[in-house]
Amino acid sequence: MNHKLNEQTTPFMPTRGVIRSIIPMAADNMLFQITVNGSGLPNCLPGQFVQLWVPGVGESPISVCSGHVGSTLELMVRKVGRVTSALFQMQEGDWVGLRGPYGHGFPMNSLEGKDICLIAGGLGVAPIRSVWQYILDHREKYGRVVLIYGMRHSVDLLFRQEFALLHRRRDMDVFIAAEELLGPALPPVSVQLGRVTDMINLADLEGNFEVAVCGPPVMYKYVVAELKKKNIPESKIWLSLERHMKCGIGKCGHCFIGGALTCQAGPVFNLTDLRLLPEVIECA
Amino acid sequence: MSQSLLLKKTDFSIFFQTLKSLGKFFAPVRVSEQSFSFKEIETEAQIAWEALRTILPPKKFFYPPSETLVEYSGNEIREVKPEMNFQVLFGVHPCDLAGLGIMDTIFEAGPADTHYLQRRKESLIIGLSCMPDKYCFCKSMGTSCATKGYDIFLTDLGDAFFVQVETPRGIESLENCRQIFTSVSETDKDNYKDYWERRDKAFTNGFEPDNLRATMDMEWNNEIWDELGKRCLSCGNCTPVCPTCYCFDLVDIASLNGDSGSRVREWDSCQFVGFAQVAGDYNFRPTPVDRLKFWYRHKLHGFDDPYGFKTCVGCGRCTVSCPAGIDDLVDVVKKLQGQRESRNDSSEAGGENESQIK
Repeated sequence: MNHKLNEQTTPFMPTRGVIRSIIPMAADNMLFQITVNGSGLPNCLPGQFVQLWVPGVGESPISVCSGHVGSTLELMVRKVGRVTSALFQMQEGDWVGLRGPYGHGFPMNSLEGKDICLIAGGLGVAPIRSVWQYILDHREKYGRVVLIYGMRHSVDLLFRQEFALLHRRRDMDVFIAAEELLGPALPPVSVQLGRVTDMINLADLEGNFEVAVCGPPVMYKYVVAELKKKNIPESKIWLSLERHMKCGIGKCGHCFIGGALTCQAGPVFNLTDLRLLPEVIECA
Repeated sequence: MSQSLLLKKTDFSIFFQTLKSLGKFFAPVRVSEQSFSFKEIETEAQIAWEALRTILPPKKFFYPPSETLVEYSGNEIREVKPEMNFQVLFGVHPCDLAGLGIMDTIFEAGPADTHYLQRRKESLIIGLSCMPDKYCFCKSMGTSCATKGYDIFLTDLGDAFFVQVETPRGIESLENCRQIFTSVSETDKDNYKDYWERRDKAFTNGFEPDNLRATMDMEWNNEIWDELGKRCLSCGNCTPVCPTCYCFDLVDIASLNGDSGSRVREWDSCQFVGFAQVAGDYNFRPTPVDRLKFWYRHKLHGFDDPYGFKTCVGCGRCTVSCPAGIDDLVDVVKKLQGQRESRNDSSEAGGENESQIK
């Protein structure tokens, strides 16, 4: 055991961050830009998450959705619970607590040289955004890039301005689909009627593709089935799973899947690893 | 290497007084006709020597049911360090020592839980031998002989204790009463071996543990879980009483005006309905069946891969404390093993395994 324990800080100690800007995106979704003082947090890798603390209310695990972090990180938050509701009451200049980044993200190093297919459903676009931003920062290291993003209603589209720019790029194929086209048209982003699986079917995935997926739990088995039709082996499919990661450091037990802690072994898992765990409701 | 010594029971008072002078002294005390609890004591006479399992295991001394980790006020956040008083924990049996060893591994794993480790460092643990009752099955779990988690271990040889000192802290704690210890004779060693042989034969409860890993994997979809789940009350009794259940919740307690408050860690239970629920109300373990079999698997197989040990230590507390009478872990394992054997006898043994892998 360590003999300098008294000098060590508990890993549950948050770092202070200040909300720099709050950008409304779609109904009940806002992008929070948060600046952390000085040495604050280490850089986040795509797919990692932080524990966001609203003092007096609680912590919530939130994916970091920006690829290049520095002292400011971006969190896309949907108002779904107590902590996020309280966060939505906060204003620019207010302070919050942050711990992290935690978990294993997408294996960006071992994906170098490969073609990359990114698949996002709904709010799952947040961690996937950190991947495409990372890839675009290191574009020469990766092959073809296909980005597929699906949502229920077209008005739920997040990062619309950014997608408008991505659509114009020639070095990636972008497919956006909504199950229902609601509200005004969304130029200059073209949203097709359909599901994520329809877009996988449309996309040209011939090549040496590795696939990164993040979406609601119900989406995965359909995505995996569609990828199989495209002859993508399971060892090339990386899934970011959602569980209640309450502590983030492998102690509180809330995010167990069988004997694996999502906050430590995940949240990004290779599909072949998940085949060895019970309780993975995402994969049929 | 541990140091072996002999302590005559007539000299135990001196040993007790010496240890008591080191800090707060805790030992099992009888708190009702059938139950015992680790409590701070003043006199040797308060020790319940006959105690087998206390209501709560000794984890509560290092990992209290509720503790404040962080406080904030205005713009300031500060850590609340644990209050440190040296504590002597006396009369801890092998199952609970194994439990502490497991808790140590989990809380030491990076990033380490400094509050737990600080309390652990400020304590002296004295183990004590015991004869099993009808609920004990530490022998099946391989935890019947203490190997870690203690500083000193006492084996009851009738008129004397065979004392094994395992750590430098243990050696140090005996310095002021060294005169009451003698070196062990060949006869003492024989008596020691006899004691543990007798104890080994005294077990009436248990199961064959060799195939646990395979059993828990193969029987994940066994109908026994549905039967047990129907009767489970999701009360969560089985988890606080378990020497290795460490799951917790982190909650904020704010002052009325909201300017200050604290973050508090509280024991939680995987048997509670909201344990695996995420925002938006999606629940990854919505039914008692889901939660009960997760707990069983976690105890009997869950940590084979990350840590290489099982997290059940065979103390029998879950069985004793289950109000629905379904947490007879030994009985459940035997049923699962029985099903496995009968299925292997039939020619269609392979079918069930395949469907599990998919």
